[in-house]
Amino acid sequence: MKKLSFIFETRNTYSSPVNEHDFLLRCVPQERPEQRIVEMHLDVEPLVTGGNFGVDSFGNRTYTGRLPRGHTAFSYRVQGIAIRDESRRLPCPHPLPVYSYPSTLTRPSETLRRLYESVEATDDDLEQAERFRVAVYEFMTYRAGVTNVQTTAAEAALFRAGVCQDFTHIFLALCRMKHIPARYVSGIPVGEGASHAWAEIWYDGKWHGIDATRNCPADEKYLKFCSGRDFIDCPIEQGVFWGCCTQTQEVYTKLEEITDAGQAG
Amino acid sequence: MGLRELQDHVHVINQQMARYGVKFGIYKNGSYNERLFPFDPIPRIIEADEFQTLERGLAQRVNALNKFLADIYADKNIIHEGVVPEEFVYRSPGYLAQCEGIRPPKGIYSHISGIDLVKGKNGVWYVLEDNLRIPSGASYPLIARSLCRQCCPQTFRERAIRDNRGYGQALKTIMDHVNCGGINVILTPGRYNSAYFEHSYLAEQSEAVLAESMDLYVENNCVFYRSNHGPVKVGAIYRRLSDDFLDPLCFRPDSLIGVPNLMAAYRAGSVAILNTPGNGVADDKGIYYFVPKMIRYYLGEEPILQNAPTYLPYFKDDLDYTLEHLDDLVIKDVAEAGGYGVVFGSSLPKEKQQALRDKIIEEPRRFISQQVIDFEDLPIMDNERVVGRKADLRAFVLSGEETYVWPCGLTRFSRNPSSFIVNSSQGGGFKDTWVLSH
Repeated sequence: MKKLSFIFETRNTYSSPVNEHDFLLRCVPQERPEQRIVEMHLDVEPLVTGGNFGVDSFGNRTYTGRLPRGHTAFSYRVQGIAIRDESRRLPCPHPLPVYSYPSTLTRPSETLRRLYESVEATDDDLEQAERFRVAVYEFMTYRAGVTNVQTTAAEAALFRAGVCQDFTHIFLALCRMKHIPARYVSGIPVGEGASHAWAEIWYDGKWHGIDATRNCPADEKYLKFCSGRDFIDCPIEQGVFWGCCTQTQEVYTKLEEITDAGQAG
Repeated sequence: MGLRELQDHVHVINQQMARYGVKFGIYKNGSYNERLFPFDPIPRIIEADEFQTLERGLAQRVNALNKFLADIYADKNIIHEGVVPEEFVYRSPGYLAQCEGIRPPKGIYSHISGIDLVKGKNGVWYVLEDNLRIPSGASYPLIARSLCRQCCPQTFRERAIRDNRGYGQALKTIMDHVNCGGINVILTPGRYNSAYFEHSYLAEQSEAVLAESMDLYVENNCVFYRSNHGPVKVGAIYRRLSDDFLDPLCFRPDSLIGVPNLMAAYRAGSVAILNTPGNGVADDKGIYYFVPKMIRYYLGEEPILQNAPTYLPYFKDDLDYTLEHLDDLVIKDVAEAGGYGVVFGSSLPKEKQQALRDKIIEEPRRFISQQVIDFEDLPIMDNERVVGRKADLRAFVLSGEETYVWPCGLTRFSRNPSSFIVNSSQGGGFKDTWVLSH
């Protein structure tokens, strides 16, 4: 069991005012037995009237709203305390069957098939997924700037380089070729910096976190925001607005363990 | 009797339709063209008792399809019980995971269904295709009938033809039935859409407000219409744009013709969307094969209307049959619509046949094969001559408190004497459909 304090901050600035801005955020950590949120504040600026919390088809908490009037910045900050305890994770008897099928960003390709075939097969899905994880880690090089948010697993596999999103998509593609239910996860790991992506595979009636980028399980040091078939289902922020401007985004995240004394450690 | 008179007036009727903008558009080789939809004055006549059977069969079919959609987006029993293989659902581009768990108002998924049928030379009606997304075409026979009535009122006085003018009111009734509080709106992609005429016509007929996406916005999980007197809450949207474009924050993010956060409002239960997004999973050409099984499964009844004899290469026996009998079959790509991706085996030269065989072997789930139905010719006017041409019938079924089959329909015919494809995207014209009252 771990007690974690979290901060997630994004600030978008626009070079000239934008208006009629509709947004959907998935920056609110999920509330689950294995991830209890004991304290949380969400602040959005400019002030939103008529914002709503909701849940999407993948079980993610959403916050939707609208900023009709002109503004040159849009920022949100979520902050709080979570208790992560994997031993409390409940079984999930019926994951969405679609998690076993290729999605837009995880369709197989020849390169992916070759990678898949290079991995020794086993009947145990968890063991198999771990082998896929190692294979992806060894196959790929972490490099920013090669790919973008629309890059497919097949494209990233051609570059043999990318970021956590690409590692995760390739890993998902491999799992789904074997028909292992697997999903994409966005969230933050312990540390400071930007958001992270990893995967969950369904094994023995439960979801298990696997981080292909760091080649390790995604354990209690990971705080989950949202999940879906791939990145397309669960961006942390989506929005449309009217305006003609250039946009810049700054993200800051921090997740740290709180020791028994109640001190950040 | 009276037909002669209609034939004499055909030019006037076509001119009037051109004036009203009764057109449809087609995309071909990447460019968009608008065309008039030529009207043929000789109606298709359906006898009263024949229509009664159609009515029962169509209602039965649409009821089962609605139950299927409710099942797929919730419990998925039909998959668990092995009636429909999982793959046919989850590999279908019409299945939208973003709609999982949403329960539409009153549990209705397909409010307006367009079922395409043909009548064989043996007198048997076969269902060729179900259209449960945004079936278009009801306005054509409506306007044609009203023009014919103006030209030749006597014809309609003397014959026992069932009135088709109730369509607009029926549309209003099903919108009111699911309305979650507020006005009814018909959402159009805009005046450059090929069916814009129909959108505006149906809005007028059903007393709904015709809106483009810019006229609507979502606030506090409710949809509002920007009226001249300020925002008005919307309770039901009959949308005439496809799922992909409906909400850029849920489906295609590059859609400029959608309403942001519409799906969040829908999920919250503040607005009804007709037809429900995600219906494409039930009118997929692959799923078509399973519709008779659905009728047995959900309703415990025998299907009243038959499917065209169909083979699924996904099953080994059907694959073998398809490969061997390519000459007698029509092969359809399940991902395509509008008469595209349809190939008659016999029309292909040897090497192309082989290429098709290889494609089917490689991706069996992508194709269905069907026995070519020898369907009846209907008389049409070709200049001053009457000639026979292939025609189909799109029947419109409206689901509200009850399932209503409109006593009319869109009869489309092929201009080309050798063609069996009557889809309006492929050229051709239409005629009125007279359902006799006794």
